[in-house]
Amino acid sequence: MIDSKHETIMGGNEAIARGALEAGIGFCASYPGTPSTEITTILLDFAEEHDIYVEWSVNEKVALEAAAGASWAGVPALCPMKSLGLNVASDFLLNLNLSGTGTGGLVIVVCDDPRGHSSSNEQDSRFYAKAAQIPLLEPSTYQEAKDLVPFALRLSQKYEVPVLIRSTTRLSHSRGLVIMGDIPKREWKAGPLKDDLFNVPAPHFKHRDLLGKMEQISKTFDESKWNTNPAEKDLDVLIISSGISRRYSQEAIHLLSSKDIGILNLVTTYPLPRRSVVDALKKTRRVLFSEEINPFVEDEVRSLAIDLDNVPEFHGKRTGAIPTFGEMTTDVMQGAIANLKNIKLDKRNKIDSYILIPRPLTFCPGCTHRNFYWAVRKVRKRVGDKLVVAGDIGCYSLGVFYDRAMTTMQAMGSGIGVATGLGQLERFGFDAKILAVAGDSTFFHACIPGLINAKHKNSNLTFVILDNETTAMTGFQTHPGALHQESNQKRVKIEEIIKAIEPDFYARSDANNIPELIDLLHSTINKDGLKVLLLDSVCVLEEARRDPIVKETYFRIDEDMCIGEKCLICVSEFACPAISWDKTMGHPVILDQLCVQCGACVAVCPHDAIKEERVQ
Amino acid sequence: MRDPFNILVAGVGGQGNLVCGRVLADASAQSGLRPVVGDTFGASRRGGSVLTHLRIGKTDWAPLIPKGEVDILLGLEPLEALRAALEFAGDRTVAIISQTKIPTVDVNNEKYEYPSLEKIIDSLNKLCKQVIVLDAEETLTRIGSMKMLNSYILGAMGALTQSPLPLKIIRESLQSIFGSSSANIVAFDEGSEIVH
Repeated sequence: MIDSKHETIMGGNEAIARGALEAGIGFCASYPGTPSTEITTILLDFAEEHDIYVEWSVNEKVALEAAAGASWAGVPALCPMKSLGLNVASDFLLNLNLSGTGTGGLVIVVCDDPRGHSSSNEQDSRFYAKAAQIPLLEPSTYQEAKDLVPFALRLSQKYEVPVLIRSTTRLSHSRGLVIMGDIPKREWKAGPLKDDLFNVPAPHFKHRDLLGKMEQISKTFDESKWNTNPAEKDLDVLIISSGISRRYSQEAIHLLSSKDIGILNLVTTYPLPRRSVVDALKKTRRVLFSEEINPFVEDEVRSLAIDLDNVPEFHGKRTGAIPTFGEMTTDVMQGAIANLKNIKLDKRNKIDSYILIPRPLTFCPGCTHRNFYWAVRKVRKRVGDKLVVAGDIGCYSLGVFYDRAMTTMQAMGSGIGVATGLGQLERFGFDAKILAVAGDSTFFHACIPGLINAKHKNSNLTFVILDNETTAMTGFQTHPGALHQESNQKRVKIEEIIKAIEPDFYARSDANNIPELIDLLHSTINKDGLKVLLLDSVCVLEEARRDPIVKETYFRIDEDMCIGEKCLICVSEFACPAISWDKTMGHPVILDQLCVQCGACVAVCPHDAIKEERVQ
Repeated sequence: MRDPFNILVAGVGGQGNLVCGRVLADASAQSGLRPVVGDTFGASRRGGSVLTHLRIGKTDWAPLIPKGEVDILLGLEPLEALRAALEFAGDRTVAIISQTKIPTVDVNNEKYEYPSLEKIIDSLNKLCKQVIVLDAEETLTRIGSMKMLNSYILGAMGALTQSPLPLKIIRESLQSIFGSSSANIVAFDEGSEIVH
């Protein structure tokens, strides 16, 4: 980002970060999660230059609480997170809304992930705005993504309510031209807290007061320049769009050269700018809703229209005109408009796609998570398939694709939580061994209460922590247990936390040593009580990022030892991307460009056919 | 130039899709046009497919190219080029693809067979107006490595009569990212000479 009045190419998240600087925020707390991560990464890069405090918090709830603390003390605060993060923070949010944010101001940015490109669900987080009764803003352009942050902060400061900005993947992760503004001189100073920052003994009155504020905010939204009305007076179809769906709607109209169709684009989507919406509804015969994930605006507009004399025809997710799941696209809008207008779309000739094969995601070459799941596979065989693996969220979630090594995988910390329940079921005849798996960043985020519950209730399970000492999935953000810490941060060791909980059995081992790993895992699950294994793991990407690999050795297949097609264990079962099957040669080959010389495959080959050699 | 002019870059994580998008967006802005670049890169670090949608025009277009509306398809990998073409190619699509395959994990374990290059090109010819196949392996291995395929293919695209952006401006944008002495510039120049 270059500080100038000229237009600069910016991603949606970059624009939000720039907007936060132009708003004059002093505090940002966040937990990484796609597609929101870049907002905080960029602010971290600018923290020193602009003298702001930015942290990767231990989870989103702590991040929101920390940000509220700053706001209460008069420091403008930002709290970006992904969709699922807001679930974690929601307990606090639904209290903060009543307590108020104090004078600093607090803007929450939530990035939803329609289609779940990088998420375990496709949730619409806008319902939190309705649940908490707080204002919701949805940028539809890169420029708005930037400019809405200062507006949201002023709104929060004026009404002392948290303000939610919602982006979606395609806005956060696409780029366009943005005109930058100036970064203001600091006018705030941290000061004393008010003495009513709690909701008891009369939360219902706090609720009443919040609703009063929202009534006023709805009126200011009616005057807002953010919402764009259609220019036309008499419309056949009015599209009510929000977020990036605005662009898809505009392009669909262009492609179909449709007449008598206009767009009311709403940026202030909750509370609805009621007068603007009612005025627009009066000018049209039909309405088509264009928004991502759930019919949020659609339902709000429908309930508003109940009081009108002439209600237009409504088409949207509620009527099946727009698919109720998946991403919005220009093609979806084109199809919906064509249906309403009885336009026949040119169907492209479908050609056979039978030769297309999938390209599944996999663990990187040298990733020790593969070693762990290899060990799980071996142990599963040894116990006659009587093994349940309760998984968690991170790179190791790819275990669901690896020979279905993972049985369950839901939310952050859910593996150990689910396992504590399963660990009580022996009394009802449950006879499988229970293994819970989590990574290091996830351990700090949400696993500690579950682990304590397991200890306290004497749950019979094994908890494995794959500790690669970084938040690998989202791009190597630091966390309390990370190997590399900033000079002002203190490392918290996972091992010390486990020891303090005093499991019945605890061992620490090297995830690079496959034979040892298999035996340790097997002997551990056969013990009774709460067992915890801490596996020293390696993220090759993180290592290569800090310290480029110097190849001193290389690996090759010994053709005399390899039995070729009769075996295929290294290629088809271990499935490291650096080992490829060479049909013409009749044996596997190690792809030197991909191999990181971890040597894990040596132990995997039952015929000792993988050899390590020194580079000449 | 059509408005919008649509370029789709298809490849595998690690091939430098995103850099292609950055270079072309910068070159568009330098040419006084408004670029919009949409990336699907959630899976890029773990060997998955990566698509970069580039829209160039006088106004901001949506971040995804509508089906059938691709003007130029840059295929960094044959299978990924086919995957992208099946979804997005149309009557006016000119495809420039590298013929160097990157096997999938499933191919390694023989669950699926990677289709032959002939079959892929045959399907691409049915889906697109024109298909240009590049054999860059020898040249790029000589210059450095296949990692520079993205620069090479940008050079090839810039030399096409259909290119919406002048070769010189794309080259300058590439230089602003890699520096003028980078082997990527050599790869770009080699690529630009291959297409006539």
